[in-house]
Amino acid sequence: MEPVGESLTARDILQTLIKARKNVRMYPDNNPMYLKTVDETFARFSRYLGEHEALTLAIKQNTIHHDGEEIYANPEKDDNFALFFFKDGVRELTFRRGLNRDEIEEFLKIIAQEFDREQVDDDVVTLLWERDFENIHYVVDEAFLVDIDEEEYERKAEETLKERLTDPNDLLRAYKDGFQGGEKTDTAVVPLSDGDLQMLVKELEKDAAGKIEKLVVILFELIYLSEKQAEIEEIFQLIREAVHYCARRGDIALIVHILHRAQHVMQEPSLKEGGKDYFTMLRYELGQERVIACLAHVLDVGLEIDTGAFGQFVGFLDKNAIPSLIHVLGELKTVRARKYIIDALIALGKKDIHAIAKGLNDERWYLVRNIIYVLRKIADRRATEHLLRAVRHSDLRVRKEAIKALGDIGSHDVVQTLRECLDDENGEVRIAGARAFGTMGTEVAKKIILEKASNKEFRDREFDEKKAFFEVLSRWKDQAVFEFLLETLRKKALFNRARNEENRACAAYALGLLGRKDAIPVLRSVGDSCGDFLRDFVHVAVRKLEGDQ
Amino acid sequence: MWQSGNSKVISREDQETLRSAQDIINQLSVILRNAQIHNPGNVAVTTAIDRFLALLNPLMARDGSLTLQLVGEYFYCNDVRIRYALEYLLNFDYLAREFKKREIGTVVFLPGLRPSDVQAFLKGFLAAGFSSAPFDALRDHVSPLERIRVDILKKIAEGERDDTRKVVKKVYYNAVSFSKGVMTKIKSGEKVNIRKAKRIVESMVDHLLEEESLLIGMTAIKDYDEYTYHHSVNVSILSVALGQRLGLNKKMLTELGLVALFHDIGKIEVPSEILNKATSFTEEEWKIVKRHPIWGVRALLKLRGLDPTAIRSSIVAFEHHMNYDLSGYPRVRRYGDLDLYSRIVCIVDQYDAMTSARVYSRIPLAPDKALSIMMERAGKQLDPLLFKFFTNMVGIYPIGALVMLNTRELGLVYESDTVFLDRPRVLIIVDRSGNRLEKGPVVSLTEKDPHGNYLRSIVTTLDPNKYRINLAEYFL
Ligand SMILES: [Fe+2]
Ligand SMILES: [Fe+2]
Repeated sequence: MEPVGESLTARDILQTLIKARKNVRMYPDNNPMYLKTVDETFARFSRYLGEHEALTLAIKQNTIHHDGEEIYANPEKDDNFALFFFKDGVRELTFRRGLNRDEIEEFLKIIAQEFDREQVDDDVVTLLWERDFENIHYVVDEAFLVDIDEEEYERKAEETLKERLTDPNDLLRAYKDGFQGGEKTDTAVVPLSDGDLQMLVKELEKDAAGKIEKLVVILFELIYLSEKQAEIEEIFQLIREAVHYCARRGDIALIVHILHRAQHVMQEPSLKEGGKDYFTMLRYELGQERVIACLAHVLDVGLEIDTGAFGQFVGFLDKNAIPSLIHVLGELKTVRARKYIIDALIALGKKDIHAIAKGLNDERWYLVRNIIYVLRKIADRRATEHLLRAVRHSDLRVRKEAIKALGDIGSHDVVQTLRECLDDENGEVRIAGARAFGTMGTEVAKKIILEKASNKEFRDREFDEKKAFFEVLSRWKDQAVFEFLLETLRKKALFNRARNEENRACAAYALGLLGRKDAIPVLRSVGDSCGDFLRDFVHVAVRKLEGDQ
Repeated sequence: MWQSGNSKVISREDQETLRSAQDIINQLSVILRNAQIHNPGNVAVTTAIDRFLALLNPLMARDGSLTLQLVGEYFYCNDVRIRYALEYLLNFDYLAREFKKREIGTVVFLPGLRPSDVQAFLKGFLAAGFSSAPFDALRDHVSPLERIRVDILKKIAEGERDDTRKVVKKVYYNAVSFSKGVMTKIKSGEKVNIRKAKRIVESMVDHLLEEESLLIGMTAIKDYDEYTYHHSVNVSILSVALGQRLGLNKKMLTELGLVALFHDIGKIEVPSEILNKATSFTEEEWKIVKRHPIWGVRALLKLRGLDPTAIRSSIVAFEHHMNYDLSGYPRVRRYGDLDLYSRIVCIVDQYDAMTSARVYSRIPLAPDKALSIMMERAGKQLDPLLFKFFTNMVGIYPIGALVMLNTRELGLVYESDTVFLDRPRVLIIVDRSGNRLEKGPVVSLTEKDPHGNYLRSIVTTLDPNKYRINLAEYFL
């Protein structure tokens, strides 16, 4: 808190401003420090202006003065509060009584800007001017707006003007002619009506619409208006810039429109062969990372996307977009955005599967997994070799996704690898392999799983794994499987009974899934004479089969 | 040159005070309009008065009183300038006109104001409308009232005017030398300082808000060697002036001023021997000149890449010769409506070009003649609605017109009168005995004799170019 009773000096206020500027630069405007800074600055100003009508600061290049007294001095170029105002022409700043918190906050925001950056189009004065503060006034020196070599412009222009003095004789001729009737003006000014104002309001509303669309129209007109090849080339560069501009704003529909028009322009006879190249160039540009990254960002922040337009956009992409898409895919934060990019990769992937597969080399498992998903959805045999490689990936999650993908592809060149998976030391990999065979659904696949399940060692596997294998088997609804299941269900063992019971339970479970009602009597008879564990599975299976009726 | 950031303008559009101040002026105008149609006891008038008091009371309670003042074309409410809001445009203009007619400069309302006070004020106001000494008539009615005071409209002292004239001149030449710099820089491939451009336009906007006639007066001087640079600045000034009439806000005015300043930037690619040619263009030369809108787009977009200002400027550079009905150039294939700013610049550009000595027909036209030619084009080549606003701005006798008065005096239109469009302020250059005046008086054609007859009226207009009258001698 401020010490009460003691008067604040102009120097105190200036220090407050300098400190506040630092804080406002540092903290976002919802941060408590930010709010505290604005509140405190406002409080100090209010106290000062309670005692004084106004606070006027005279600004020189490196110093600030109040009432003739120097209250700030800094010979350095950097972080010089005086120079900050001085260089844009501000020579005096006045804060008047009545200054409110909003004004203080807005003012701090203005002086917190980093004007040194080249992209900033405004200077301090422009911002002060636009805000039009009621209680903050400034005086500027406009002289610096004029280039040094043009300083004399006014004098010279005036001189030349005054050289051509009006000839007194001409003037008197005019005077005489004035009596001859001269020309009577026939202009009549029609006063404005309410109707005019209404029309004007409509015009202004219409004017609020975006201007980039119009610029695109103009750029294409410019192509038709071109006289030389070099001009066309230049315009295509500008069209390319327009594409980037749209990408920054996430305007996919307009990008699509530009491409359509470019495609159309291509057919213009005057453009001959060159036109095709430009269109290709433009398509190539779309795939550049700076375009894709903009769009990805737009997707990530959840802006509304025209799905149809996005599809068309992807249609225009060339295969050079694949690396960019893969790169942004790794960076995206939302599921929604990833889905759009993955769909784009699936659509594009057929053009260059090897480019997609390069994504498998990435260090991030989740990205690799996404790429496997893409390869799987492309469902192309050419994807196989890459997926076969991915099965040996170091991350389990990746391996599982790759195995799943191989199952989808299902050609016989994947059989050997999947078969090896069934013998993998990791149970999850073995299960994934079995499921992949299930997805393949071929006779060969069936034989392999049956063989595994009949194997003596299989009995000693974990229950969950065995259950998964039996579940896979149940997808072949044929006699061989049916008989195998019945046989397993009935099978009794002398040794290792618990393990055998598990196998029987799995068989019961699979019979339930298989859906043949002639299994019911067998299940019932087994259920009458077995332990609790098995009985539970038998009951579930019976109920399922009966329920299917 | 020193210039103060215009301080009296209210800062936030959403500020309640501003809204109610606008409402108050609007409501006063409603009362007066109703009172001129109905008698003061009519319910339309009394309800309007009640509403007026309801608006007034909170502000009077806050500030102790409410002072309404007319300065130039603007109303100030307790020293705060009221913004020219579109929805109030007509009522504001009406009220300003009625105030000027009666020479009212200030009305002060004090707390405790009653409907009967307003009624009495109205009576005086109406009576003043028919009086040859209107302000005295009003004061007679108002002086017994305790809660309303009026003051006469102040004429700006000539000395003060000279100072402002100097400032305005500086603003104008700063802009011209800047526009020259821009063109030279673009030609040599140097960077253009857009921040500076903004500042230049902002100071023009400021002075248009305060000293419209003076700045427009600067555009009337056409006798420069470097036509292109002056033309760019003139088009910028006149566009902003028109934009202001359309109710655009300061930010939009800056944008408009900027794009207007750059509208002919494509001319940097036209060889200067063509551009500055003293005789008419050949067909081949015309073909080249007509490509400047195309070159303008390229120059502007290459300047700093695409951003909203670059986009808007290139649209205007491309469209400014296309005409409202697309009959101009460049010829286009598939096209919608012209941009609003293009249509503004198109009107202003034609006006400045026609009244200048170095383009098109090469014979400059008298301002009023140019206007009447443009009148023919409204609805075809020119947007009729915007042109209507334009003529309401420049008046029947634009600044720089040479006029013969019924007093046998010859003069130049010096400043237009937004209320009486055919009664501008005129600088007398030849007196009634036919003597040339070096520094003649500026007279308002709205001045009346004690019988209520106008002292001076325009009889005919003459072409100042025909007599090679150098406006600079009189306007600088
Ligand atoms: Fe032009
Ligand atoms: Fe022009």
